[in-house]
Amino acid sequence: MSVGGFAGQVLFVDLSKGRTRVEPLDPALAEQYIGGLGLSLKLVKDYIRPGLDALDPDAVVVLGAGPLVGTGLPSTSRVYSICKLPTSGTIGWCGAGGFNFGAMLKYAGFDHVVITGRAEKPVYLEIVDDRVELRGAEDLWGLSVDAAYEVLCQRLGRPAGVMSIGPAGENRVAYSMAFIDRISTLGRGGFGAVMGSKNLKAVAVKGGGGVRVADRKRYRELAAGLMEKIGSWPHLKEAQTAGLIKSFPVISPEDYRRMKKRRAACVSCPIGCKDVIEVPDGEFAGLVKCTSSVINLYTPLLYGIQDYRESIRCMATLDEYGLDAFEFFGIMTFVRTLIEEGIVTPDRSEPEVRLDSLALVEAWVERISRRQGLGDVLAGGFRKIIETFGPDAARFAPALVKGMHPYAGPGSALAWDLFGTMELGQVLDPRGPHVGSGGSPTYFARRPLEAFPGHLQRMGVPEEAIKRILPGEDLKVGALLRYSHAWFTILGSLGACARANINRFYNADLCARLYEAVTGIETDLAALRHRVDRVWTLYRMMNLREGFQRSVEEALPERWFREAGFKDYVTGQALSLAEASGMIEDYYDEWGWDKQTGVPSAEELGRLGLADTA
Amino acid sequence: MAKYDITVAADNCTGCLRCELACSDAYAKTFSTASARIRVVMTGPDCEISFTDECVECGICADNCLYDTLSKERKEGDR
Repeated sequence: MSVGGFAGQVLFVDLSKGRTRVEPLDPALAEQYIGGLGLSLKLVKDYIRPGLDALDPDAVVVLGAGPLVGTGLPSTSRVYSICKLPTSGTIGWCGAGGFNFGAMLKYAGFDHVVITGRAEKPVYLEIVDDRVELRGAEDLWGLSVDAAYEVLCQRLGRPAGVMSIGPAGENRVAYSMAFIDRISTLGRGGFGAVMGSKNLKAVAVKGGGGVRVADRKRYRELAAGLMEKIGSWPHLKEAQTAGLIKSFPVISPEDYRRMKKRRAACVSCPIGCKDVIEVPDGEFAGLVKCTSSVINLYTPLLYGIQDYRESIRCMATLDEYGLDAFEFFGIMTFVRTLIEEGIVTPDRSEPEVRLDSLALVEAWVERISRRQGLGDVLAGGFRKIIETFGPDAARFAPALVKGMHPYAGPGSALAWDLFGTMELGQVLDPRGPHVGSGGSPTYFARRPLEAFPGHLQRMGVPEEAIKRILPGEDLKVGALLRYSHAWFTILGSLGACARANINRFYNADLCARLYEAVTGIETDLAALRHRVDRVWTLYRMMNLREGFQRSVEEALPERWFREAGFKDYVTGQALSLAEASGMIEDYYDEWGWDKQTGVPSAEELGRLGLADTA
Repeated sequence: MAKYDITVAADNCTGCLRCELACSDAYAKTFSTASARIRVVMTGPDCEISFTDECVECGICADNCLYDTLSKERKEGDR
């Protein structure tokens, strides 16, 4: 493949046979599915065996980095892993930035890696340019995410990119994650367990090549315009200095300054929202932690840990084991209730289930990650706990979506109560509840509706759809979510970050022009929209083929609409289940899918060239 | 071509590698960390920045630094 942007090769790895092979990337496929997220979904569609369990040896995992990754355009470092996820039981995407992994994969010559099979013994995949090897990982098995990262960086020499799992993934914990460069997470849904089930501890990559762009002159013009916009943003220095604390002031600027070692950025990011901190004093003085954001380190405080230094130690432990903190704390809260209600009686040898004690929380992190005692049941997630302890336990379960604990909403870690696209999206993205705005204006609470039309135009929403989304003084959240998913698909397929502080500088038309300049593939906004529709509809069709149903996978939790439940984004009035169900129908309708079932019509599939998926 | 003294404040570096990519684009016509004449090695808390022997002190790395890590000053006597 001679077009720019793409590295031009797909690496196939069969862990069962211990074999790898390289194939050229099909340029027609790249054009039809854009790249990155979109093309990874297409490769999953082509190589998955329908109906297989997520942890079956023959389950497929596809990694992908889009055509803009590694080109130096702002915040283009996104990596996606797509597979059937064990917790949700759906085919879903996991996405991350990270320091080097995506760029290194491209520089080594690969846009995608397709992984199948299960290694007999623990292995890791080492890619150094065209030298690809499956190497024994017995010495790495049992190591933390961070330790595995350090060992592999030393073996390959920096800069290298490393995707690794911790003991939780090795032991197939339902809410284990993989980490990119030990800082960004590929989760939720249990991607770590998928790697663990394959005996794949890590993928380590180092690339000495590069990525060329097709039209350098055009690229430079567009990049210069983009950088000028970023450079003149009046909040740039503030965002670079404060990171996500600017939007979520969980700690004082003074406390943050005391612990900050440095800000950290994914490759080519002008904002650098990641943090390297050092605990300044107390029992854990000197503990250095690299994190996706310092605000994540405060999650344990929401559940009972009192001291912020203990909270940092707690998150460091969760990350080292490779556990999803939201799901872990949701499960521990649930189990504590079950014990208080007399439904679960732990063995006397088990540590007490308490969330206000660092030692006890860490004990449970280890017991779950190593599947010891009651930890073996808890490692199976909410569904396993309910299956084990029966209907009595189910009565006390929190709101669940696809068997997972929503991260936002009543009873969740983030008790946001306005029902915007991110909140509804927890139900309507096949992957399940996750943190991701899709660049929608409702990411921020109470934005005035006057600000919406300009934002929606930037996202590439057609004018006639803007009228449907904003009829008079109302906001149709379901219809908006359809375009939020489309905007996310554009960014994810190109390889750009969707975080609010980045996607604000991009617009859909610019993305089409950048894509064309980088790849050389003729693309305008209409063409890009068409390809995005194809990608997201394919994503839906793959899940429908797996048995995905509105009444099950997209069921709205009733608890969301009881007392102190979700509220209408615009009016702030209590939202009913019926109103939220109507939003789901609006979402389906706006995609051109059946309004009741969410099944795409034959006509729509034909328009998108997906008739063979029906 | 003008030459510059490049001053490095490694404590400010985020590891975004925009300097390396701008350098490789300028001199190798490709985006590639391996082709860059400036080397940024981040280990998390620590960061080392160095220049290869091929560096011509053009200052393009400093032009592309957004974090006040690299700054440039025209070399004395340079025209």
